[in-house]
Amino acid sequence: MPIKKKVPQVETAEQIDWSPKAEVKEQITDLRTVLDKIKTRKGVIGYILRASTSAAVDIKDPSKIIDYAALSASALESTESLSEAFELGKLNNIVVEGRDLKILLLTIGEHRISVFMEKNMDHNSIYKELT
Amino acid sequence: MNEELYATALKNALVEIKNVCPSVKKAFILLDNSTIVAGDEQAVDPSVKRAINSLQSLAEKAVTVGGLNDLLIDGDKGKVYVSQVNGMYSVMTLSKGADLPFLRTVTGIILPTILKVLNSMSPETTLPTPLKSAPIVPRKQFRPAPSKPPVKEEAVEETVEKPEKIEEIEAPKSLEIPKAKIETETKAETEVEFPKPVTDLPSQQLIVDKFGGLMVRADTVQLDLEILERWSSLLNVKEIREVDIATFNGKAIRCKAKAISDEKFEERGLIRIPEKTCEALQLKRGELVRVKPVVPEE
Repeated sequence: MPIKKKVPQVETAEQIDWSPKAEVKEQITDLRTVLDKIKTRKGVIGYILRASTSAAVDIKDPSKIIDYAALSASALESTESLSEAFELGKLNNIVVEGRDLKILLLTIGEHRISVFMEKNMDHNSIYKELT
Repeated sequence: MNEELYATALKNALVEIKNVCPSVKKAFILLDNSTIVAGDEQAVDPSVKRAINSLQSLAEKAVTVGGLNDLLIDGDKGKVYVSQVNGMYSVMTLSKGADLPFLRTVTGIILPTILKVLNSMSPETTLPTPLKSAPIVPRKQFRPAPSKPPVKEEAVEETVEKPEKIEEIEAPKSLEIPKAKIETETKAETEVEFPKPVTDLPSQQLIVDKFGGLMVRADTVQLDLEILERWSSLLNVKEIREVDIATFNGKAIRCKAKAISDEKFEERGLIRIPEKTCEALQLKRGELVRVKPVVPEE
């Protein structure tokens, strides 16, 4: 009579708890909804929403996407080193103002948000809406 | 008036600003040649220097939004306010409850006034260390790092732009003499070399497609032949051999360029990048990159 071997049970993918990821996804959806609403405001040019593995971009002028993305990445990098050098603690928000436009940058959880707008826009109201 | 006096005048201005606005903790002025003038006897430590360097790179990228005018970082323990004053940058660390509109007004009055006075006293020596080969320009924006290789051509472009910049900053009348000098110098420079300066390099956003294999060179990317031909005719060169690629994350690389060899991938707005290069640039398939041709030096 053949001997039956006992196969050790391996935890399959179905058994793994995915709930934290689902939460992150939900948060992204929420943020996107808020950002989409913000984008409808007059004077808002667009936004970039970045997470660790994904990014959502909605800019009115698609030819500027890379430039804006590079600028927002550079702004975040620069502010991080400034904050480190001057011991600013946790960053609440960053406003980069150019001659034509301004950008509001903030981090919510693991999401980094950059909202591009015209200079005369009230970035504080957008900040409040996002936080 | 020499450099030292110039720096001393600015230092004193910063000290006065600190006296008027006690919420200012530290203050620096970043001159356009990256010299840091500190407000008092405070030391500029290496971390601050690093931060200033990153600020410089931000200023270069901010061309997209018309140049960096102001930067406000609001942290839990305080704020940093960076403001552009006549082409220089004042960097101030503030306490949490600082009165920003008041500070803006004060710096917006004191610093430009002092700079104007300094310039009117001795327009030719106002810059602490004027850049080599560049005519004396009192103030200007950060000079973007040359991302493109045609150094000579860029120099031509730059010299043409300089007089415009001077007009923008409302220089006092006494500055008109150096301006005339600049014009003659620029004329001389432009006459000497290239007949047709490249004013703006074309660029295109393309979708990334990875490819790999044993014989694949990591430094060579593939683009549509049509794009390469268009660029070479636009730039009036025989062929485009190299391209600059800028990614979404602000990374950039220069690669050799070839036409796409596989018909399947032609005319789809793709740039085929070797896997290793994609890894180095942290690129994924389907992402957008900006691609610019590199004008070959002949």
